[in-house]
Amino acid sequence: MVEMVIDENNIGYIPSLGTSFQLNETAKEIILMLKQGKSKDEIVEELAKKYNKDWREVFIDVTDFMEKLKIYGVIQ
Amino acid sequence: MEYQKPTINKVDFRLASKYGSPLKEQRIKGEIDGVPVKELVEKFGSPLFVFSQRELEEKYREYKTAFSSRYPNVQFWWSYKTNYLDAICKIFHKLGSKAEVVSEFEYQKARRLGVEGRDIIFNGPYKPKHILRQALQEGAMIHIDHFYEINDIEDVARELGLKEVGVAIRCNMNTGVYPQWSRFGFNIENGEAYEAVKRLYKGGILKLVGLHAHIGTFMLSSSAYRVEVEKLMRLKNWSENQFGVEVEYIDIGGGFASRNRLKGVYQPPEVIVPSPDEYAEAVTGAIYDNYQGKLPKLYLETGRALVDEAGYLLTSVFATKRLPDGKKGYVVDAGVNLLYTAFWYNFELFLDKRYEGLNEPSQVNGPLCMNIDVIAENVMLPPLERGTIMTIWPVGAYNYPQSMQFIQYRPRVVLIDTNGTPHLSREADDLNYVVEKEVVPDYLK
Repeated sequence: MVEMVIDENNIGYIPSLGTSFQLNETAKEIILMLKQGKSKDEIVEELAKKYNKDWREVFIDVTDFMEKLKIYGVIQ
Repeated sequence: MEYQKPTINKVDFRLASKYGSPLKEQRIKGEIDGVPVKELVEKFGSPLFVFSQRELEEKYREYKTAFSSRYPNVQFWWSYKTNYLDAICKIFHKLGSKAEVVSEFEYQKARRLGVEGRDIIFNGPYKPKHILRQALQEGAMIHIDHFYEINDIEDVARELGLKEVGVAIRCNMNTGVYPQWSRFGFNIENGEAYEAVKRLYKGGILKLVGLHAHIGTFMLSSSAYRVEVEKLMRLKNWSENQFGVEVEYIDIGGGFASRNRLKGVYQPPEVIVPSPDEYAEAVTGAIYDNYQGKLPKLYLETGRALVDEAGYLLTSVFATKRLPDGKKGYVVDAGVNLLYTAFWYNFELFLDKRYEGLNEPSQVNGPLCMNIDVIAENVMLPPLERGTIMTIWPVGAYNYPQSMQFIQYRPRVVLIDTNGTPHLSREADDLNYVVEKEVVPDYLK
């Protein structure tokens, strides 16, 4: 479960770790969807639909982003 | 709201400084001499070497003025090995540079461009007799590298029936910098250079008319040139006293640095690279302080400092990936096959426009299926799209001539003239070009 709290300036904070992160808008959306328990495929589909983007391109971006979340220890 | 590539960066207060945030700074170069990089790539393809004639001419004039305003008889000799594209050589010859070559190939290239033999200095440690013969017949100035070469020149001169041949000897020396270039020419400190002069006269054919040294490359110390000139002048004075001749010129070689960033050097080029005036002051000051009799002509083989900053390599992002250490990896279409000097320099990377998102530690790799194909190992970049055009600079010196047909075809080269018009100056390689010289033995057909 993602415990990140995100403020209005897109600064994410993980209380248990005491670490902070800078995010952009799409990153914030993805974190919020992860917190809702959505799967990677659901997130890709939703973003592609919302921004009218080729899902295959969005898939690369979301995969890359989630890899980085793992590296930061935000998700397992 | 528009779609942005998602980015996340850990807040690291160590990154904050009075110089700004490395997370937001983007270095952008949308055009070269007024020509948009996007247009260049659309018209000529990617990757693409681009040279600016405007920059070449400005640099040449800057150096010419620095030396000529201090010294009465200065001649620049264009160092072919630094960049021997026809168009580049032509520009320097039109500006007044003669040719400095270091091989049979370079000699022939200069002659093909219409340079007379007498306007060619022939350096280098390897000059087989057949090319020495041509050079002597055509009046080129030979700079002798070793004792065997003295023998060879004497043999060829006799064959040609020449009674007297003016030559220069190449010298190496300790100028107080590391590494000391000691493999070219004759050493000053151990007396070998003096022995070489004696040997010239002992043969009865050769006459010393010049002294040459090339003390190193990317020389960040102007004082090293002062030491070089002092030692050459001492040898000149000794030779003149000893043999009653006039040594007409001293040739201080090349090695002046460009505004490139040498790996492992902490300070930026703006701080550490001497200006043309500093180099000129050191060189000419040492001549004035040490000359006896007539002032010698001053020859310079400046290459890198004149051409490096005039050269750009445009490359396009082909793919991205997340590396296991967390860095963003970019695959671009230009690699170390085109940027041999990437092993020593951290080039500047410019983006074609501003990109949304925060910078993150990134690595830029070329298209070769080789782990060493690294253009930039640690660079802060925002999330880039496929097709983003990066401008790599400065790459004008030693990259094109050392570029390899290895795995990939070499790309086109474009020259932008002083009016801002781009001209194709070398076509890209293709399969026919690459295999043209191959021969399949009959038994394999």
